[in-house]
Amino acid sequence: MELEEDEHNTNMAQEKSDDTPFQGKFPEFRSQIDLLKQGAEARVYRATFLGKPTIVKERFRKKYRHALLDEKLTHRRTVQEVRSILRCRKAGIPVPVVYFVDYTTHSIFMEEIVGSTTVRDHIASSQQSQPEQDLEQLANRIGQVLAKMHDEDVIHGDLTTSNLLLRSSVEKSQGIDLVLIDFGLSYISALPEDKGVDLYVLEKAFLSTHPNTETLFEKLLKSYTASSKKSQAVIKKLDEVRLRGRKRSMVG
Amino acid sequence: MRVEPSYPACRLCHSVIGPPFARCRERTGRGESVIIMHVTQELELYPEHSVTQMLFKDVKNAAELRQSAVDGKLNCALITPTMLVNPLQVLVAANKAVHLQKTGKMKTRGLYSEIIFNLSPTNNISEAFNRFGISDSDDSVHVTVVHSKDEFHLVSDITSRVDGQQLPLEHMSMLTDAAKVKKLYKVSPQEEKCGTLLDALICRMATKDVL
Repeated sequence: MELEEDEHNTNMAQEKSDDTPFQGKFPEFRSQIDLLKQGAEARVYRATFLGKPTIVKERFRKKYRHALLDEKLTHRRTVQEVRSILRCRKAGIPVPVVYFVDYTTHSIFMEEIVGSTTVRDHIASSQQSQPEQDLEQLANRIGQVLAKMHDEDVIHGDLTTSNLLLRSSVEKSQGIDLVLIDFGLSYISALPEDKGVDLYVLEKAFLSTHPNTETLFEKLLKSYTASSKKSQAVIKKLDEVRLRGRKRSMVG
Repeated sequence: MRVEPSYPACRLCHSVIGPPFARCRERTGRGESVIIMHVTQELELYPEHSVTQMLFKDVKNAAELRQSAVDGKLNCALITPTMLVNPLQVLVAANKAVHLQKTGKMKTRGLYSEIIFNLSPTNNISEAFNRFGISDSDDSVHVTVVHSKDEFHLVSDITSRVDGQQLPLEHMSMLTDAAKVKKLYKVSPQEEKCGTLLDALICRMATKDVL
């Protein structure tokens, strides 16, 4: 979810979308939840659900859209997100557990990964103190998990370091506990091009958010290549996509 | 090789792991210990509804109970504990059932049949009843009642109809047939690496209408 919107965008979104959480339903529940983030498409809350710490992602209506189209679009996005999460889980890819989906308010109730930090924050703080070794392990793990995801033909669609969570596991011997979140832009595709673009999005996000991490990302890609069965075609496409970027010469 | 000490069998659950009642007992704020038998959870989305779960073993009248439920004379869900792993599994099913009832979108005819249907990973209603509902020969039963906060008598009304011994709900996991559960829900070994069995079940239950 692109939360780095400029203020104008957010204001626009708020005016032209349905402001009341859950369309006015669940009054007592609403009074006990905290708004964590508001994006262009959805609001994310933290709550307690069935006694468990839960994240609720509500896709709200857009009044400027034709009502029927809006309903279909929002429904479809919700379904796609849920489907991708289930598909990942079945393949053993670490994602949050879905507790409940309310199709009337397009809300997804899922497990809150308690005691976690985003990879973004981790890299930011690590760069100041810890040695490169820790981060290398992290890069390897990310490459591994993404390879598995792409082998399942799931395209995340919004790979950034803010969408990768690190669960603080007490025992380091258990390995790095990584969780993928925010499948709002995800879809199913077997095309190497789509997977290449997925990686390209991550690369761009990585390099722009974390300076001097080119070698780290290289390690990530190496790990990806080693872990994925279909990586050759994907990396080839990635190279092609890189050439397509801004201010790039298409002469070739 | 270190041998674990064994304890005298707990009177309630016959477990020899830990001191008697260790798994059944919870200390209250005043330092007394009470044995937690049933567990009630209020549905945050529908606070007028609370879900109470109870567990019974050595049940002698399963056939009678099942018939009463089918006739609509016993208002509860009777589930076979072998297919249950954790109370949260039932809560997820119950929450979805109440939600669908409120929005008029239940697939079955009643709230309690809907709870049983929601437990199943497939959309086949009769299969769900066969697999998750109790059969006449069962000797252990899991009972679920949905009620409001001041209707707790409904729970005791039903408890009194069961000819069996009540177990603390926590003992649910001891009655689970994990192999059977994994087979029915089609949980692969790789999935169990990234989460618990309960996670796998809940995720499927919550998302089965998307398939």
